[in-house]
Amino acid sequence: MIDWILAIKIAGGGFGMVFLILVILQVVVEVVRVTTEKITGAKN
Amino acid sequence: MFGLLESGFGLFYWGNALMIVIGLVFIYLAISKDMEPLLLIPIGFGMMLVNLPLGGIMDYEMVLRAPQAGTVMEMQMEEGASFSKGGVICKLDSGEIVTPVFGRVDTLKISKGQHINKGDVVGKLITMEQTDQSVLPTRPIGLLSRIFKYGVMWQMLPPLMFLCLGALTDFGPMLANPKTLLLGAAAQFGVYLAFFMALLAGFTFPEAASIGIIGGAEGPTTIYVTSLLAPHIIGATAVACYSYMALVPIILPPVVYLLTTKKERQIYMKPSLRKVSKLEKIIFPLVTTIIVILIVPSSAPLIGCFMVGNLFRESGVTERLNKTSQTTLVDIITIFLTLAIGASMPAQNFLRSSTLLILVLGVVAFASAAGAGVLLAKFMNLFLKEKINPMIGAAGVSAVPMSARVVQVLGQKENRQNFLLMHAMGPNVAGAIGAAIAGGVFLGILH
Repeated sequence: MIDWILAIKIAGGGFGMVFLILVILQVVVEVVRVTTEKITGAKN
Repeated sequence: MFGLLESGFGLFYWGNALMIVIGLVFIYLAISKDMEPLLLIPIGFGMMLVNLPLGGIMDYEMVLRAPQAGTVMEMQMEEGASFSKGGVICKLDSGEIVTPVFGRVDTLKISKGQHINKGDVVGKLITMEQTDQSVLPTRPIGLLSRIFKYGVMWQMLPPLMFLCLGALTDFGPMLANPKTLLLGAAAQFGVYLAFFMALLAGFTFPEAASIGIIGGAEGPTTIYVTSLLAPHIIGATAVACYSYMALVPIILPPVVYLLTTKKERQIYMKPSLRKVSKLEKIIFPLVTTIIVILIVPSSAPLIGCFMVGNLFRESGVTERLNKTSQTTLVDIITIFLTLAIGASMPAQNFLRSSTLLILVLGVVAFASAAGAGVLLAKFMNLFLKEKINPMIGAAGVSAVPMSARVVQVLGQKENRQNFLLMHAMGPNVAGAIGAAIAGGVFLGILH
């Protein structure tokens, strides 16, 4: 008997977690770009 | 001593012959079709080696203990006899003693008429099966079983392979266009769809997770997760993953054509990406390590190794480490890992209906991962001023850099002016990060 609640938690939570982390990384990459541009004065 | 039945022929059966043929096909594809030769040749050769009986290269020794007390009424096996899982070794007045694995009898410590107590040693078995060590402990006694146990099952080689991949990976295209991180994330949908389908097909949660992670299209991640969650299917998941990585040029195009219009496939993307500074490339592995491992600690071995390898590459001051990781180390690990994986496929272990199911689910995982990337790219185009070619979403399936190359070829077919390779490398490497995180999430919940 499959525990569907656990299955949905793993799949939904897992996929959401992967997406969330990569969205955070996307934001971090943008922040780093803007910050390094300000520090170095170079337009990347 | 040189009798026919004392040679390997006595234990050779049609399953071994079939596996040797499959191994030869792998070697043929590698040599004559140039399909992932660095992987398929050692895997194919390992398959051949393990299916030549009595070679002992993948043997494990197991001490069998009596599950219950009783008097031996009848011996059903003798030393040297081969058996399949569940074979009866002897009959007791209180029941039977059966073999918990497939293999052959090395020595027997009991005889007819003897009284044995629960836990007494019945004998020593030789097996090639990957067992749950907490239930059925084994000791490796062959060359490749030692490499497999201490390299793969102790989770040494897959993370080290990730270190080398980190040194080989240029995150520049992804950093130049960080939107592509989302495409890599979307492609992980394939992992979870295959996970669900595996559950429906009757696999357990740990097995389903190991099958789902094939959709991440990263060999080391698949091997790492399976070795921890479901070591008995590691041969099937590894072969599915590596085979489909080699078959990306066949799997990806139909998915792309099914989900995109000709007009969408012709969307032009400027060939030049913005120049990413060295500082950005150094900061990325550091920040990624901290963020990802804080959120998903169980992804530490994979993400940590991936990022330290990349830091070797980008720091500019560890050229020796970078060069070693990109050349010598990756080659050594590839030899050990792929030979051991090939050798984890004795016929008795591999020729099961579940293996066929795993191979089918692996294709589903790959295809749906590519499809999800394409669909998200189309969705993003609804909001973007500068449209992206949705085909680059298919490269989110990882399989670096093969899937990006396939997208480049498809792009060129539609529009000769379109050079999508570097654009596709963004979701491609993002997919590798996403797969490692997805693997870490599975381990965090199920291990």
